[in-house]
Formats: sequence, structure tokens, C-alpha cells
Amino acid sequence: MLLNRESSGERWRKRRDGKEKVTGELRYLTDMTAEGMLYGRVLRSSHPHAHILSLDTLAAENYEGVVAVITHRDVPGLNRFGIAVPDQPALCEDTVRYIGDAIAAVAAITPEIAAYALSLIHVEYEVLETITDPLRALEDNAPRLHPQGNILHRTQVKHGDAGHALQNCAYVVKEVYSTPRQMHAYMETEGGLFIPEPDGRLTVYAPTQHGYKDRMQIARILDWEEERIRVISSPIGGSFGGKDELNVQPYGSLLALKSGRPVKMHNSRMESVRAGLKRHPMKIEMETGMDEYGRLKAHRVRIVADTGAYATLGAPVLNFATEHSMGPYRWEHIDIEGISVYTNNGVSGEFRGFGGNQAIFAMEGQMDRLAEQIGMDPWEFRMLNRRYPDDPGPLQQEIWRTNGLEQVMQALAQSSLWQRREAISVLSVHDSLSDASSSPPWIKRGIGAALAMHGAGLGYGIDDPAGGRLSLNASGQIEAAFSYEEFGQGLITTLEIMLIDLFHCTGEDISIVIGDTDRVPHSGSSTASRSTTMAWMGLQRLKTPFLQAILQKAHDMTGIPVDQLTTGEQGIWQISWEDDAEIRHKCVVSYREIAAAAQGNEFVFDTKFSYPTTPDEVVGGHFLYTYAAVAAEVEVNTLSGHVKLLDTYHTVAAGPVINPMGFIGQIEGGSVMALGFTLTEDAVMEEGHYMTRNMDTYMIPSIQDMHTSLEVEAIEELPENDPFGPRGIGEIGSVALAPAITAAIRQATGTWVTHLPVSRDQLIRRAGVWQQEGVSPR
Amino acid sequence: MKTTSIQWQAVINGTVREIEIPPSRRLLDILREDLDLTGTKISCEIGRCGACMVLIDGEPMNSCLMMAYQCEGTEITTIEGLHGETEDVLHPIQEAFLEEGGFQCGYCTPGMIISTKALLDRVPQPKEQEIKEGLCGNLCRCTGYGGIMRAVESAADKCAQRSSLIPAVDS
Repeated sequence: MLLNRESSGERWRKRRDGKEKVTGELRYLTDMTAEGMLYGRVLRSSHPHAHILSLDTLAAENYEGVVAVITHRDVPGLNRFGIAVPDQPALCEDTVRYIGDAIAAVAAITPEIAAYALSLIHVEYEVLETITDPLRALEDNAPRLHPQGNILHRTQVKHGDAGHALQNCAYVVKEVYSTPRQMHAYMETEGGLFIPEPDGRLTVYAPTQHGYKDRMQIARILDWEEERIRVISSPIGGSFGGKDELNVQPYGSLLALKSGRPVKMHNSRMESVRAGLKRHPMKIEMETGMDEYGRLKAHRVRIVADTGAYATLGAPVLNFATEHSMGPYRWEHIDIEGISVYTNNGVSGEFRGFGGNQAIFAMEGQMDRLAEQIGMDPWEFRMLNRRYPDDPGPLQQEIWRTNGLEQVMQALAQSSLWQRREAISVLSVHDSLSDASSSPPWIKRGIGAALAMHGAGLGYGIDDPAGGRLSLNASGQIEAAFSYEEFGQGLITTLEIMLIDLFHCTGEDISIVIGDTDRVPHSGSSTASRSTTMAWMGLQRLKTPFLQAILQKAHDMTGIPVDQLTTGEQGIWQISWEDDAEIRHKCVVSYREIAAAAQGNEFVFDTKFSYPTTPDEVVGGHFLYTYAAVAAEVEVNTLSGHVKLLDTYHTVAAGPVINPMGFIGQIEGGSVMALGFTLTEDAVMEEGHYMTRNMDTYMIPSIQDMHTSLEVEAIEELPENDPFGPRGIGEIGSVALAPAITAAIRQATGTWVTHLPVSRDQLIRRAGVWQQEGVSPR
Repeated sequence: MKTTSIQWQAVINGTVREIEIPPSRRLLDILREDLDLTGTKISCEIGRCGACMVLIDGEPMNSCLMMAYQCEGTEITTIEGLHGETEDVLHPIQEAFLEEGGFQCGYCTPGMIISTKALLDRVPQPKEQEIKEGLCGNLCRCTGYGGIMRAVESAADKCAQRSSLIPAVDS
């Protein structure tokens, strides 16, 4: 179904958190203040790699208005953080490894005094060699950035004999692809409010994608029981993976406890750029071969990821890139090796798409080159080589069978955008123009497409808990509680729609509690496109016991048989049946009355389970996949090198659409984020320092870059008795646009792009200059 | 670090506000810190992203670039000052953003709505390119701008319908 407001009917629902957002009433956590509050600031390293010889904070401590100064000496617990591997110092002891490393922090009565006090802290450094290139980091004589060396993680997938098979392939394409250091660029920078409570607890108001994980990490730093800390983590002004890891929480917490007063932290944009996560820049070498009929045979891949100074989720990101570097295709011989390398560049970590964006760009680039080499239509070539629904997953693991791949491939083939491509391709590649009459000769047009099979959930071998709570609360509302977060994706409204579907009640009969470790059960993180599926499965488990209890109570109170009762607006309704049609008579007892009569936790139900995983022991391997196909039409100005995206088509097979406004928003937003990844975005570093420090030089798409049309087609069908419900779509809109655009650029100009963001210089043409690149027929 | 303060005055959302502040204090800080009007957001602080957009005498301005002395005596409208016919009713622009999904995280939204207000006051029925020009100083990272375009088009229609029904009282 082509998704839009009209086609969505009643499911097009105003966001539950919408009114407070359009009026500006919503208090984000970085808008909060408290009585007697101090302002916290962090002193970050002056050098990307150095030893700290001495650290003197005395002058700052003595400055009027400064209430607390902290260094590594003030960390009572583990002076490290990192979701997967805690290797990043909260406050550096003797070595700094990137320009965002924290050395000290100050809390003062005004932000100006806090900033000034940082300048009074004296740090003496011994500057060390800055490792800016992962290949340098791998050399024997390179400085070791961590005790175990400079390699964070390696991956390897091998079956068959790819090396030998490639020598015998009729056609082989070998290419090296590279991708930018993309920044999340959420509009709300990191920050929050940290309040030491009179009862000895600490309340942390700071955005994160997993409140319980933050609580664990903060407790580890403070050497506290986790329960002493309350983490309130929503609402969030954007995250995209970037606020998944700790950022200001260690400093806010330590300063609040040392000063005994509330402390507010809020990073400036420049500090956010300097200290925050980015997408892993990757170099991906692929050598791919096929037989004379165009059947894929062998695929050799080498991935080098620049993980920067610290681990965070660099290892799982590399696992994901490895798993997604084979595409949804059939292979006889596979030889993939990945390596994630520490450098003194900024920290790379979790970011929407999670390594898939880079791998899919490379894989799909190979497919287009191979198709062209053998003279096949690129989509027919993919069709010929697609995996079958019963095939094992990319890592030879058992996966859940759906027909999503077939469905998206057919939908794209039938899209009007893709069908227009034929008209362009009958013209020669050199001067392809769909409207030659109206455009000047230096304007070239082309259409390209790409495919993605994207894993969801954290994968095999990684704790991936889920759960939830459903209750009738004291004020007579059906209350759902999850440890998920609202960072804009629309989770709250999705939950509201699910509850209305289940209980036929109204939004007013519902209470939704998220993002507060004191009030919600542990239901895992809002990452990896997992929370919609987990919330849906949680509610499926909870609805029956909840309904039984509440209808039994209604029966006890009214005497009406349970089978004549159902939930509805404001309370329990009496129903009867006529020709299989339910007739609702009236509300016989209100939720409020039932709640008033409740005894203890009579109407509180909890569930715990885990994200479904493959039974095969393949670490990081996924079980549930979603599929997407994307087509893009571009216009290239070969005088300026400017690429303009004219039209985009996304089709996504991810099960039923619960919240169409949210679904469209995620695909459109993901797509435009991928447009930036493809054409304009790169956090440029030189010698370990950021050259792009703010939104004036870091170019995210603006409304001026928006093309005329973006269609979103949702394929909702799932196999019969599919128990997993709607799949998450937070990432899949962002993973396949880049190769579709670069394929379109190829058709328009004859240039193969291997490096993102696309270089304008590469597309500027002198008359008659054209060459075919990257293809080596044998 | 003492700075001489001035008695600063402006009409903010229809109310005269008078405070003692240094003349170089940013309007953004006056709004957020001194007056607790946190609907105006802080993001790039260099006038690129538009999260802090307010109307000064009807013109859209980045409040992060505006110092107190530069806007003394002006009429300032923030997102908190925008509403429909009565204070408890949404402005048609706000309604349109709500209905069309013109936002996700909502952090750029106050600035985006303020810029839309300035645009529609100047060009009641904007063409696509005029919308893009009117909003190119406001960045959004969530929506990809599709919902925003639809919201602005719908807002223009709503405003036109209302102004044909109700005689204009003020701007």
C-alpha cells in the first residue's frame, strides 16, 4: 500500500506527544532547572594523543563561584565506561586518546564561571604520535593505544574457496569503497540535570536509548547499588544511536554528588561534535565473481573500520557490517574478513543502520558493476541471484522465513520510477536525458536502485531482554509501562494505537509510562529496530491475563456473564452477537470504578522474554530480517558536479503498519539522512582534530535539498501465524539509498562512485571525457 | 567578571517585560534562562539551525545572534506567544504540523513553526520554492522535511480559510 494520510484512514493519528511539541510546552530534559542548581562543564583534551604529565586544579577550585572540581581521583568506582567494552575513561588518568577525552570537570554557580574555571586548570602534556589512519595503527611500530593493542575486533566468514573460485569466474569486479564519518546531528545536544536527593539517592535526567543500561554504567562509576539511581531518559530531542552510549552522565553525577547540589550539563554544539560518537568510516574492498550466465559464484570482502579511540559498540557494528556485506544473494564461495581498529580519531559507534549502510553501499555497488559487465538489467540481475525464502541467513544461520525479499523486488520493478529507467537507458549512457529538449546538455539524468536485507534485534549471543507491564492504574486508566524511549520516532503514539486496537478504548483511557527506571520494568533498549516488535509481543502476552482479570471483576460487580463483557470507551461494555457481528450496548462499569475496587496488585501484570534469536550459535547473527528496495532519480550538473535528487521510491516489507504517520516519518527521515551520507556529510578530521565543528560546515540536508517526490510503499503481509507482529523500521529507510543514488549517477554520467560523500570534482566533465572504471573482464 | 547591567525592556508575547541584564546578553539566554521560556531551543548557537527562531517586530530572527541592546524596545514573539483565536486554541500552523506529522522529536519544531508564521504572514499562499526559501534557515534531522512541506501547505490553506471567515484583527 502506498502510504500517505489518505490511504491510512483512521490510523492516521495525531501524535500523543504532539500538542506539547507544537506549542513549545514540552520540557526536554535539557530544558529543566532546579533550585540551587550549578552549571557543569568538562575540560577536554588539547591533543588527540598524549600523556598527562601533571594536572593542577587548585586555581579553579579556589575561584569564587566554583563549587566542585573533579578529576580521575574523584571517581569512586570503575573509571571507565562503554556499553560493550568499558575502555573509555570517565576522567583520564595518565593518557588521552582523542580530542574529546575528559580530564576534569567543574560545577559553578554560573555557566560563565564554569567556563572560565576550565581555563584555570593546568594540564601538562607529553604529546605522542597521532594515529589518524587505521592502516598505520596496524603497523608493528605504531604506538599501542590500549593494553591489548590497536585491534578492537576481527570478524571472519568463510565457506568454499573464494580465492580459487575467483580465478575461474567469467567476470570479476574488484573495487574499494569508502564511507564518511557521518555525525548524528540530533538537534538537541547532549545534556541533562543531575539531582542528589535528600534520601541519599541520585536522580539523573538525561537522554539515552536505554535507561537501565545508563543506570548500570553510572552505578559502576559511582560504586553504588543500581537501585540508588533513578534514570529519567525521555523525551529526547533526537538520537539516531548517538545517545545510546554515556556522554555527560558521569560528569553530571560526580559533580552533583561532590557538590551536594543539582548540576545541569548541556553540551554546546562544538563540544557535541568534539566528544560525541560518529558513524564508522569504513574502507571496504570487494572482489566479486560470476559465471558466464551471470550467476554469482564467489565474493571476497575486506573491511577496515576506524573505530576511533574507544570501543563502545564498535565490535557489534563490525559484526553487523560483516553480516550485511553479502547482501540477500546466493553464494558458493565466501571469504570475508573484517577488522575494527583503534585510532586517535573521534569515537565511532552506534548509528542508525549500524554498519549496514557502509556494507550495503559496497555490496550493491558490486551488483551494478557486475550487471553492467554482463549487459543485464541491474534489477533482473539481482532477481537472478536473490536468495530463496528457505535459504539460511547470511551467516548460514536459521532465520525466520518471510517473502519480504520477493515482495520488495517485485514492487520496485513495478514502480513508475523504475519503469521510467527504461526510457533513459535506450539512450546512450553518455548523453542520457529523459527530457533532452528542455535541459541544457550538461544536465544529465539517471535512475538507480538498490536492495537491502536488514537484521533487527541485537543478534545471537547478546543479552537482548524484553518485557513490559500492563495494569489498571489507580486513576482508572489502562497503563502500559516499558523501558523504551521516545526520541521522536513516535513510540508513544505507536503504543497508544496498539492499546486502542487491543482494548477498543480511547486515548483518554490509556496511560503510557516510559523512560523512567523507577516506574518501568526492564524491557531492553530502544535500538536495533526492536522496540515496536517487542512492545507488540509484550502486549500480546499481557492482554489475555489482563482481560481475564478485569472482565471477571466486572462480572463480580455487575453480575453480567463474562462472555457478554468486553473493554471499550471509559470501561467495560455489555455486548451481544448477531450474525457474527458484535453489538455494543452500553458501558456497564467504568475503569475508574473497577480500579477503586481493586485489591493490591490485582490488575498488574508483568512479562519477561527476549528478542527472538536464531537457534544456531552464530554470534551477532540475526533471526528477523526486514527487506527494502529503493529507487532514486538524480540530475547531475556536469559543469558544477552538483547532484540533485529528483525522485525517490522506498518499498519496505516489515509486517503490519501500526502507526502510518510514524512509519512514513521514519522512512522519509531515514532516507534524507542517507542523502546527507551520500552527498554532503562528513565530519572531517585532520591530525586528530575536527575541521567541521558546527552546522555551518557539517552539511546536513536542508529543506532546499528536498526533492519533489518521495513515495513510501509498505508491504504488510506476513506468513500465516507469524508470531512476531510488526517489525521495526527505524533503520531500514537509511541503509539503501546511497547505492541507488550512485547507480543513478553512473547512468547519468558514466562515472562509478566509490567514495562517499560523492565528490563534485569527480563529476565535473570536460567535453568528451568519459571512461569506464572499476571493471576487469577476464 | 562583572558587567554593567542595563534596564532592558521589550514586549514579549504581548506583555511588557523589564529586567536588569548586561547589554550583550543573548536574547536566547534572556528567554530561556531569565524568563523561563524554554520553547525557544538552543542547538548550534551560530545562527545556522533556526532552533532558536523568534519573531522580532514580525521578522524571523535567530535569538542566539541577537544581543539584548539590539532588540531593546521591540515586540518579540516566541512559540509560547502563538495561539489561535483564544489562548487555549492552537494556531492553524500548529494544527497543521500536528495533523500532517510535521515533526518527530520536536526540538526544531518551535523554530520551524515561527519561521512558517513569518513566511505565511508575508506570502499567504507560498509556492514550493517560496516555502523552501522561507524555511531554509531551519534544520530538521528527523523528518526529512516531507511532513514539514505538507504541514506548511496545509497551514497556508487553513490560514486562508480562516481569514476568509473571520475579519483580521491584528497580524
